[in-house]
Amino acid sequence: MKTIIRHCARLAGAAALIVAGMISTAAAEDVTLEYWVYSDFAQGDALALQQEFIKEFTAKHPGVKINITGKGDDDLTAGQVAGAVSGNLPDVFMNSQSVGAELVKVKALANIYDKWMAMPEEYRAQFDKDALEGCMAKPGELYCLPYTGFGSLLFRNLTVLQKAGIDTSKPPATWDEWLEQMKKVKQAGMYAIPDETLIFNSIAEIYATSGNTKSWGFNWDNHTTRIDPKIMAKVLGKFVDMVPLNSGTSRNDQATKDLFISNQLAFHTVGPWVNPTYEQAAKNSGLKYDFVLIPGDEPGKTGGIRSYEMVGVAPGKHEDLAFQFAAFITEKTQMARWAKLLARYNANAAAMADPEVSALPLIKTSVDAAHGAMDVAAPYFVGAVPNCYNSIVIDMASATADGEYTPEEGAKQMISELNDCLAK
Amino acid sequence: MSQNGAGPVSVWKILKWVVALLVAAIAIFPIWWMINVVFALPGEPVSLNPRLWPTSLSAGIANIHMIFAQTEFLRAYGISVAYALLTIAGVLVFGSLAAFEFSLFEFPGRRVLFGFVLLSLMVPSAVTIIPAYLLTSQLGWLNTMQGLVVPGIASAFGLFMLVQFMRAIPKDMIEAARLDGANHFQIYWHVALPLSRNAVVTLAILTFIQTWGNYMWPLIVGSNAEMYTVSQVVGLFNSPLSHHTVDTVMTANLLAAIPPLVFFLIFQRKIIQGIAMSGTKG
Amino acid sequence: MSLRRHLPHYLMIAPFMILFAAFFLYPILSGLYYSFFDWNGVGTPNYVGLANYQSIVGSRDFTRAMTNLAQYIVITVPLGILIALALALLVDSFTGRWAGFFRNAYFMPVVLPAFLAATIWRWIYAPNFGLLNMILGWFGVRSINFLNDTGTMLYALIAVDVWVSAGFNMVIILAGLKNIPMELYEAARLDGASKWQQIVHVTIPMLGPVLFFVFTYGLISAMQVFDKPWLLTGSSFTSYGGRRHALLFPVMDMMGRAFGGVRFGEAAAYGFILTVAIVAVTAFMFALRAWRERQ
Repeated sequence: MKTIIRHCARLAGAAALIVAGMISTAAAEDVTLEYWVYSDFAQGDALALQQEFIKEFTAKHPGVKINITGKGDDDLTAGQVAGAVSGNLPDVFMNSQSVGAELVKVKALANIYDKWMAMPEEYRAQFDKDALEGCMAKPGELYCLPYTGFGSLLFRNLTVLQKAGIDTSKPPATWDEWLEQMKKVKQAGMYAIPDETLIFNSIAEIYATSGNTKSWGFNWDNHTTRIDPKIMAKVLGKFVDMVPLNSGTSRNDQATKDLFISNQLAFHTVGPWVNPTYEQAAKNSGLKYDFVLIPGDEPGKTGGIRSYEMVGVAPGKHEDLAFQFAAFITEKTQMARWAKLLARYNANAAAMADPEVSALPLIKTSVDAAHGAMDVAAPYFVGAVPNCYNSIVIDMASATADGEYTPEEGAKQMISELNDCLAK
Repeated sequence: MSQNGAGPVSVWKILKWVVALLVAAIAIFPIWWMINVVFALPGEPVSLNPRLWPTSLSAGIANIHMIFAQTEFLRAYGISVAYALLTIAGVLVFGSLAAFEFSLFEFPGRRVLFGFVLLSLMVPSAVTIIPAYLLTSQLGWLNTMQGLVVPGIASAFGLFMLVQFMRAIPKDMIEAARLDGANHFQIYWHVALPLSRNAVVTLAILTFIQTWGNYMWPLIVGSNAEMYTVSQVVGLFNSPLSHHTVDTVMTANLLAAIPPLVFFLIFQRKIIQGIAMSGTKG
Repeated sequence: MSLRRHLPHYLMIAPFMILFAAFFLYPILSGLYYSFFDWNGVGTPNYVGLANYQSIVGSRDFTRAMTNLAQYIVITVPLGILIALALALLVDSFTGRWAGFFRNAYFMPVVLPAFLAATIWRWIYAPNFGLLNMILGWFGVRSINFLNDTGTMLYALIAVDVWVSAGFNMVIILAGLKNIPMELYEAARLDGASKWQQIVHVTIPMLGPVLFFVFTYGLISAMQVFDKPWLLTGSSFTSYGGRRHALLFPVMDMMGRAFGGVRFGEAAAYGFILTVAIVAVTAFMFALRAWRERQ
């Protein structure tokens, strides 16, 4: 009887080898590109459009097959790191610019500078300057093509504001005006804003009302933070001011969205991904809302952050073909179709200028928001951000808001801890 | 201690019922909440003032229909079921063969080998996952069913549990079978396996639940969309910055939770007995 | 000669041991090997000897994670088992359909996927208007920010963990209860023991082996806690462990170093330090049992 078992084991092993062999021989004749995208883009209408892009591209390149796979944010990174380690990278893939340095470290991204320079000037001019800068850490290096992105928006619940006696026809022009409105909302018995000290990106969004890209981010030459202590002290003071006015939930919590929908929260500083939820609520339960720019300290200055997603190309034997595909999907025509379908902002400025695209309100506001916003973790692709960094910023902001430090002390402490963190 | 409470209704009895029902409510409530989020009109706040009952059957059905239409959920069901069943088959066969030996017989090296297996329970899986992944990749098994299944077959927990149970098999039955002329494998097949049926069924169910919920391993081994397990398809919805509305997210999660729930309800009698009996041998 | 005698045994265990050696033993040894190197997965590994271990043990995160872990297991394991025991006694006192109903109800949290449980508990714990704070509000208690106040975070996590583990341990204990012969209770009752005394002097001692198993396995798995604190704090590879790292645990820290910082050698070293701790705790439990048996 044990011989039967041994037979079965041998057969199974042989079968496995045969199947593995079949798979690898099939791949040798055609080229198959693996294409990884964000999970949103691999569902519904977005997936349909991506598949059309694929069809158009493969029609011009016979013998090429492209497999599209969607993944959530962290999973993209984990999968790409694992793929790099085992030599099984996807050929074309998306991720956020902020994990760029890590991916370069594991050699997941090819330097496509030469291929880029070989493209015609009118193609290269299509891209938003700031987004492109994010992909070009040093001269002669280009590690990605910027794709989608966002600028932070300020969603306003008009019902709540009107109940608090605020004129909603003009958005608040400065921080002080905005703070006044928040206080009025609180007096009317409602929450003004989420607790912005809970996550790194919302702290950055408020910092941007006083600071800008140069006074945020990293100095990789001497491994220090670029955060300005005076500006940070001012910003920490803002968090202290907002303590009695906030809902206790973060801008990403479901509860925050629910408060907004049920007319208990006035302002929501967040990216455009909540818009589908609010649109739905506007249709079904009468939510009245709009989105405007986050006001900065002076009139004309805006707060909020911007962050771009990128398309990367893996080094290897399919690099040229992969770059051609990446160039195709990031080109103006495709990006305009993409923007129109999803009503979302992306990094192709020429596509954004397309009249049909710029007529969409969310896109128009997003373009302005992104221009005035602060890069959330620049400069990219130079050094990998250690995870002590974000935690220190969050902890010190919360501690100061709790009253454990004065804003000046908190800022000083934060910066010295950040420098220690980066020095390691 | 099942004493017949046939006496008059005492304070204790009322208290007992109140506590029991309260705890049951705490245990079940989150599941009930999730169902109500799925079967609610879109655009309603869901995390505040939890719905105590579903408000819209049709919205829920529309959600479910959309998920099936827009994602490859059915295919993921198929892959997860295949993954689970193949793993169960492997774990039961390989594990019971080995457990039979470790529990009932002496041979050189028995203690040492068994000790190694037990030790592996104490090493966090995060340590072994990357080297195991690299080996799987070198075998060419990425994005294949065998890559998902084979590395999980030698389950230390399964071996441990079956050993606990098989220890209770009376040695004289083994002897009797041997005297009847049965060879080694026949003793395993005709004596030990039938007597361990409860443990085997239990292990099958536990392996199902564990395989169904497995996230990290399928993520890196089954990274292409055609090999997505249910946990990965659901993971597409759970990203906090996705553009999905919460009722869609909850629908995906509900659809993922149904098979283990159904499996459990069907086999719950077997589970309860099985887990229990392996425990008493500790 | 003796090899021939034992051959059937080795053949039967061979399939399992071969797969085990390939996919567990080899990775463990490989991990041990890489723990002495600085390796980012693609470049050549640099030998660094004990440097990984030293830097981990000296790091503030490690101290924090281990402290959190110690506080966590000291409360959650005994508490979970205590509640499981109480629930088992409770269920045992019902008969027929109701016993089955309560048994299934209490087991439900075990079957629920972790993400779902975490999402719903986050809603329950939400400040100001989450379910718990709403109920507290009826009694005039001010809102508590359970998942963001460093004083309460650990206890909030323990509550969720007990919610799941109590059901799991309950069923094991239940069966142990069913194995206790009725005569023992009869004898105790005839001796004039009250219900409470019966529990203390008959039930608990007879449950000894079951409680030992549940305790030890509970410790081993509690020391590897990862998904609940990760999900409850909304962690990602860029920022994990919650406020002031109050919910940072060793496995979480290890995953962060592996996938977030791409430092696999360090992550492996971390894993082995944790393994040593787990083995130590388990050995302690066995020694304790041996000591008590000798009494």
